[in-house]
Parts: sequence; structure tokens; C-alpha cells
Amino acid sequence: MSKRSRTHVTCTVNGDEVDFLASDDTSLLDALRDELGLTGAKEGCGTGDCGACSVLVDGRVNCSCLMFAPEAEGTDIVTVEGIAEGDQLHPLQQTFLEGAALQCGICTPGFLVSAKALLDENPDPTETEIRYALAGNLCRCTGYDKIVRSVQEAAVQLRGAAR
Amino acid sequence: MTVTEDRPTYKWVGTRPIRHDGYDKVVGKARFAADLNLPGQLHGAILRSPHGHARILSIDTSVAEAMPGVRAVLTAADFPTLEMGNPERDVAINLMARDVVLYVGHALAAVAASTRAEAEAAAAAIEVEYELLPVVLSLDESLADGAPLANEDNRTAFSGSDDPSNLATVTPLERGDVEAAFEAADLIVEREFETSWVHQGYIEPHACVVDVGADGKADIWASSQGHFRVRAQTAAVLGWDTARIKVTPAEIGGGFGGKTTIYLEPVAARLSEKSGRPVKIVMSRDEVLRATGPAPASKSRIRIAATSDGELTAIDGWIGYAVGCTNDMAGFIGAMSVASYKFPNLKLEAVAALTNTPKSAAYRAPSAPQAAFAIESVIDEIAQGLGLDPIDVRLKNAVTEGDPTAMGSPHPRIGFVECLEAIRDSDHYRSPVAEGTARGVGSGFWFNIGEQSSATVNLNEDGTATVITGSPDIGGSRASMALMAAEELGIDVHQITPVVADTESVGFTDVTEGSRATFATGMAVVNACRELIDELKARAATILGVDAEAVDWLDGEAIADGKEPLSLAAITAKAKSTGGPLTVTASLNAGGAGPSFAVHCCDVAVDEETGQVTVLRYTTAQDAGTAIHPSYVEGQMQGGTAQGIGWALNEEYVYDDDGTMLNASFLDYRVPVASDLPMIETIIVEVPNPAHPYGVRGVGETGIVPPMATIANAVSAATSVRMTALPMSPPAILAALGER
Amino acid sequence: MPRAHLMTPLRRFTDGEGVIEVEGATVGAMIVELDRRYPGLGEMLTKGASAAVDGLIHAEPEYLAVDPDTDVYFVAPLTGG
Repeated sequence: MSKRSRTHVTCTVNGDEVDFLASDDTSLLDALRDELGLTGAKEGCGTGDCGACSVLVDGRVNCSCLMFAPEAEGTDIVTVEGIAEGDQLHPLQQTFLEGAALQCGICTPGFLVSAKALLDENPDPTETEIRYALAGNLCRCTGYDKIVRSVQEAAVQLRGAAR
Repeated sequence: MTVTEDRPTYKWVGTRPIRHDGYDKVVGKARFAADLNLPGQLHGAILRSPHGHARILSIDTSVAEAMPGVRAVLTAADFPTLEMGNPERDVAINLMARDVVLYVGHALAAVAASTRAEAEAAAAAIEVEYELLPVVLSLDESLADGAPLANEDNRTAFSGSDDPSNLATVTPLERGDVEAAFEAADLIVEREFETSWVHQGYIEPHACVVDVGADGKADIWASSQGHFRVRAQTAAVLGWDTARIKVTPAEIGGGFGGKTTIYLEPVAARLSEKSGRPVKIVMSRDEVLRATGPAPASKSRIRIAATSDGELTAIDGWIGYAVGCTNDMAGFIGAMSVASYKFPNLKLEAVAALTNTPKSAAYRAPSAPQAAFAIESVIDEIAQGLGLDPIDVRLKNAVTEGDPTAMGSPHPRIGFVECLEAIRDSDHYRSPVAEGTARGVGSGFWFNIGEQSSATVNLNEDGTATVITGSPDIGGSRASMALMAAEELGIDVHQITPVVADTESVGFTDVTEGSRATFATGMAVVNACRELIDELKARAATILGVDAEAVDWLDGEAIADGKEPLSLAAITAKAKSTGGPLTVTASLNAGGAGPSFAVHCCDVAVDEETGQVTVLRYTTAQDAGTAIHPSYVEGQMQGGTAQGIGWALNEEYVYDDDGTMLNASFLDYRVPVASDLPMIETIIVEVPNPAHPYGVRGVGETGIVPPMATIANAVSAATSVRMTALPMSPPAILAALGER
Repeated sequence: MPRAHLMTPLRRFTDGEGVIEVEGATVGAMIVELDRRYPGLGEMLTKGASAAVDGLIHAEPEYLAVDPDTDVYFVAPLTGG
């Protein structure tokens, strides 16, 4: 029985140089979860509609279910597992906890990645800007209210720390 | 927050600590079922019917069995036949069709192979011969004279009849004299309503990993709201003793009622047994939408009589639920959810009928939203017709303690009036309606249930505690258990570790459904703590050299006259010498679940060119009894509201004539996203439930009941058009405006 | 004597009677007596009903004690989601 040929992919994930094997039709999501054991990104739909698989690729938010793993060659990827700095939670992670911005938590990794990308680019977003930036991440538990408030609070803290 | 009665000052109950399981969830460590992998595991794939109703003439798995990577193939022949009358027969048939497929997407075979791709390829190679049967795809089709049978095995429940029927249940309810009341009415409004199937929409697809060992015992990790039910149903479907099955609840990525039943575990177990390897099965989103239970579609006709001063004297009507391919209690429950108003004269018939669509599953307050949409819309139209404020009309007729429910039994202490007043007095309701916007209100409730729970509280050597329960945490209940234990024991909530344990490590606990966890499991936790405190006082008596009766417990300390207080930690340090480990298990079948009422208010703008309805402002007031962790009570209120808004404005199932769902993805099954919604203001009303030590009422479900009418009422105010069909999507709004 | 209140679909067993006085120290005993008087009703009540007593709903009420002035409403079992 022959296995289909697999490509050797080398990239950076959460600051670590990693490598793995992937078929041409393996998604980046499946490679992260199954080859690298990083199960933070989730498959909610497999078609790029729910955002639960969101990761940063060279600083931009991507649905990792829509990317083929070999496309990750040479890229710099950040997943939810890489948002904290050592044992220091990122302000977003802290405000999500304090603001009860998660109930079941399945969408939380995707939201943290998307929200981090937003605040990295726009440190003082309006409520509307937050809502539109996060419109690609579905949450079925919270109604988004506490998520938006937590992002607002994290933005305040990050601006304060930046001064 | 609105505090309704004098209530005790709590130290921990009512605070907002970070939930204990939250840290793992924000760093990606929390393990959901699809995150678990066992060495040597195989992946399962399921072959699903392309036909809406057909007899299975033959299934040939020989090609599939020989394909690369395939280790096991199964069909219904690999499961025992459950007889008519077996309570799990419908579940068994739904998860693996036997002789007949009943909807497009109905499972009829499964494959386990080394990779998911290999399993799917092999499943596709299974050859099936079908004999097509007529397909029933709507309530009207199902109830029509001479309608073909959607499921030949169905019998009408409680009818005593053995004739096959499309009718699942028929529930008539009657009191008083509706005809006389309608004769005497000053205003009568009658409307017909229609709603579509909607899905719970949990972001996590169903998933499980099952490992059947050489000893024949199954280790199951499952995404579920109730792992004891997973065990029971899996045992029933397989024909196994319960003792052969252990179920560990993984973290669950949403359920809302849709994960109170099983689709995968027995399939994975048999594949594991046949292959000798662990088997992991994860549904795709497509499978979730095509083959797991939505909330029933409905049609209703409601007629209400009123006097000129707003008294609602009679309600007469009919509501029908299209419940999918097997019998379902939606009709019963829907009828009983008519209980918010006094209605001295009442005549209702609720019917549930079968269709060749997926077997319905519960969705937050099952059956109530469809009924409330109709009734709350008609009441709004009555208020409009009489020129009365819609909150005042509701206040005038609202049930209070002692008023009868639709079943006739009296309501216990409830907070409907308090919720109405909270909205009436709210900043939102008192603010003027802005130009170009319009306002609507609506209400709803859910009975809530008690049922069985067990809890074990262990005091550790250093005075910290572990609280072990069997209620999967779908909304923050672990934090609530810890808060109640902290309040009872008098120690810091951060010194308490709440755990949701597997079926071998905690006593029997019913499913997390019916808004029961904080109520019933909370009661078990409190009872365990109180028994533990008795034991702590006895140990303290030994240490202090006094009689046990001389010891009191206060703020985490044992107090006796003339003696230094003994902290809990001081006692646990001497556990061994005073009698041994400090651990108590309490269990109960909780009665006295208190209903939770809610009143909603929203402001909308309707774009008459595009038909888009924008929700600009939304406020909800809901009776929580006592909010143990207010952030998670608010979360339930907001989450239910958002689902109701989706149900109101966008969500529906689109079927073609053969019963194939055409919008089986999140792209086309449109749930609300962050940019669709405003902040959702919450007012927690607290009318304590006398049956619970902290006055708790379940809050999880009520929130989804009011929104559809609340929004329809606002749209009516905006456009003078009464929307009677859901969803009120842009094409529907435009069509209705066109007829204005 | 305790009173049993039957929801409408079950009144076909009792010739339409909705409220029936029936001896019994527990709900279970009441059901046995009801079945004796109206054969077949017992199975309906045992399989498919909870009991609402004093405004509180009890699932599986077989051993629930009742007083001579108790009203027992037999209602369909409630679940939730």
C-alpha cells in the first residue's frame, strides 16, 4: 500500500522553527492540529465561514481550514497557543477571562487571534470597527456583547501600557 | 441588576470570579472531543442517504472492505434490533437506518480506516439499492388527508391506536367557555403564523473517540451535554450492560439541547470492537446541518379575545410542529408553554407530525419559541388595537403565584410581573423612540426541570476543596458550583476546584438540559457541603474537647464558647487523627425547579428599500431567582437573545422537492455575527425560588423565547405590517411591504 | 381524599372526567387505584407523566406522599434543551 507523496514543510509557529510532512490537500488547520499537536485552532465548518480555525500567517488573519499546509512553507504563523508571553497572558486573554467573554470556549481561540490582529493594526477601534473586524468569527453562546467589551477593555490596557 | 426582595448578604454568591476552566480555554489547552487522539486510532466516516425516504433493498460493503486502510465496516445489521416500545428505538434507528432511510442524510453504514480520507472514500464505495418511497416535507403535507406515511413505524402517542400515522402527538387543552368569552369580547384578533426549522448552531460539530478494549469495555470521550445519557443510550443501542461503558465528558463546544442525544458513540464503539483499534468520528458541518436535530418548523392559528380595558379573556387556537422522522413530544410541551397569562377561557390543540427531515432535537426551551412568537404577536396587535401600552396589557393579565398553567396546575412563586416592571422602568423603555426607528416588546418563560444529580465534596489536607459533579459545563456552571460551595464552607472560591467527572467517578447525574445544572446539581453540592460541615463540627468538638452540640460553624470556622475558633484548614490538618478523610457525597432527585420569565424590548430600523431589519438596541429582563455568578447569568440571557434574533431574521432550512437541504453550511445558514447585533443590555431580576437553598432558578433557556415576537412587534410598529412568518429576512420583508 | 387532575388527552379513560377523588397515601398508590377503576390509565400515567403538587413538578412521583387535601396534576414530562 503506497502513501501519497507528502511535502516537507518548514515554517515558524509561535516563534519556534518547526517542520512537518503534509499532502498537497492537507489543510494548514489539520497540519497544525494533527502533525504539530496544536489543537487550539478548531474546525467548526471546514469552509472558511466560522473563523474557529483563525491563525495569523505573516501577521494576517487566515482561516487555516482554507489554506493548504504546503502553502505555509517559510511563513510565520501565530496560533492561540502563541499569544501569551511565557506565563504572562496577553491583555486580551486576561480581559476575556475577567469579562466572561467565553462560555463554551470553542470559538475563543479564533476570536483571540482575530482580535489580536485588529489591535495590532488599530489600537483604538470603535465598537463598530471591532464588530466588523470580528464578523468572520462566529459565536453561538455569547451574543458577542461581552466579547466586544473585552476587546475594548484590552485596547484600553494596551494603549495605557504603550505610553 | 434589580434585587426584588430582601435577600441575605452573601460573601461569594453573586460575585464574578474568573471561571476555573477559563485559563485553559484562552490558551488553547482545553480539550474538546476532536482534540483527543489515541495511539493507533482509526477515523470513522458515515455513509448517508441521498434519498428523503426509501426502502433499503440491499447494502453491499464488499468493495469498501477491500479498500486501502479500511479496518471495519458496519451497518444496522451490526446492532441488535430494538423492539417497538423500547424507549431508545428511535435513537437507534436515527443513528443507523434499519431497512428504511427516513431523510436525506440518514446514516446507513459506517467505515473505520487509517485516515479520514480513506474512510470517506470507502464509505462512498458502499453499494446500496433503494426503492424510493414518497417524501413528506412539510406540516401541511404530513397532515393532509391521504398523506403518505413519513415513517411507517410511527404510532400516535397516548392514543392507544396501533395504526401507522404521521401524527406524533395530539394535545387538546381546555378550560372555561371560550365561545361565550368571544361573544362578549370588545376586540378579537386572529392570526396565522409560520416558522421554519432552525438549528442549534453550536460551533463544535459532534465528535467522539471510542476505544473498546480486549475486555470488551468501551472508553468513550464525547462532546455531550450528558455523559450518563451517552452511556445509557449507547448501552441500549448496542445491547450492552452499562458496566461495560465509561464515558468521559470532553469540554463541549456548545449544545443548546442539540447534544442531549447521541449520533456517533455506538457506531464508533462497534467499529472499534470490530477493528480492535480506537475509533474517532468527527462530523463535518455539512453532516451536522443535514443530519442532526433541528427545532421543529411550525404553523399556528391563534385567536385572542379582549375587553376594551385590556383584559385577555380567552385564547383559542391551534399549533402544529413538524418534528422530523420519528415521534417527538414537541406538541405536548408546546401546548404547555402557553402559561404566561391568566386566560380564564382557553381552548388549544397542539399537534406534532412527522416529516422526512432529520429527527428533531431540543433547542433551548423546545417548542416554546414557536408558540410565544404567535401569542406575543397577537397580544401586541391587541394592544395596538385598543390603544394600550403593550407592557400595561401584559401586566394586567400576567400570571402570578397560584394562577393556573395551561396544564391546570398552579404556578409557584414566579417573577413575570417583576420582569415586566423592570422593562417598563428601564432606561431603554423610558427613552423616546428615535426618528426612523420603532420599538417592540415580548415575553416568554421556561418551566425548568430538577431531576437527579450527585456531588462529592472532598476537603484536602490543607483546607482547600474539590467539588466533583457530573454536570457537563455548558455555560459556566462549574464556577457556580464553586461559588455555592465557597458560601457554604466559608472558604475562598479560589481554594475550591470544581471538576466534572466521568461516569465512573461521580454518582449518576442527569443531562445538563432544562436549565437544571445550577439548580439541581447546585443543590447536591450544597447538601454535600452541609453534611460535611456537620462532620467538621464533630471533628472540631474532638479537637477542642467539647460536645458536638456546642460547636457552631461560621465563616469557615468552628466556634465554641470559651475556645479559640478553629479554621477549616486547622481541622483538615487533623483529619487523620480525628476519624479519617473528610469527604461527603450527596445525591437527589430535585423537585421544585422554578420557572424563569423574561421580558424583552428592542428598537429596530427597517430599510424599506432592501428589506433589512437592523436591531439597534436590545434590553432583556429575566428572573434568575438568585444569580450565583452574574456574568454567566447575563451570558445566558445574551446568548439566548442572539439565537432568537437569528431565528427571527435569517435562519431557516431550505429544502428542494426531494428533501435535500440546499443551505447546509454556515455561509447559507446565516446565524448572527458580531456586526449584526448591538450590545445586549441585561437586567437580572431576582425573585428567589423558595425550593432552592440560594433561591436559584435555571436561566439558560428562557432567553430564546421572546425575541421573535419582540422583533416582529417592532417591525410592525415600524412598517404597519404584521410579519407572521419567520424568518423576517429581507425578501420576506420586501414582499410584505409590497402588499401593504 | 386526594384529587387527581388529568390532562385532556387522558380523559378518554374516564368518560371525560378531569378531576377524580382517589384514595392513596402516595401518588403511586393513587395511580394503582386509578388503574383499577379505569383500566389502562395506570400505564399512561406511569410511563408518560410527572406530577405537579403544590406548584412543584416531580418527575417519577411514585413514592411521593400525599395528604387528604392534596391536588395532584398529572402533566406530561418536561425536558428542555
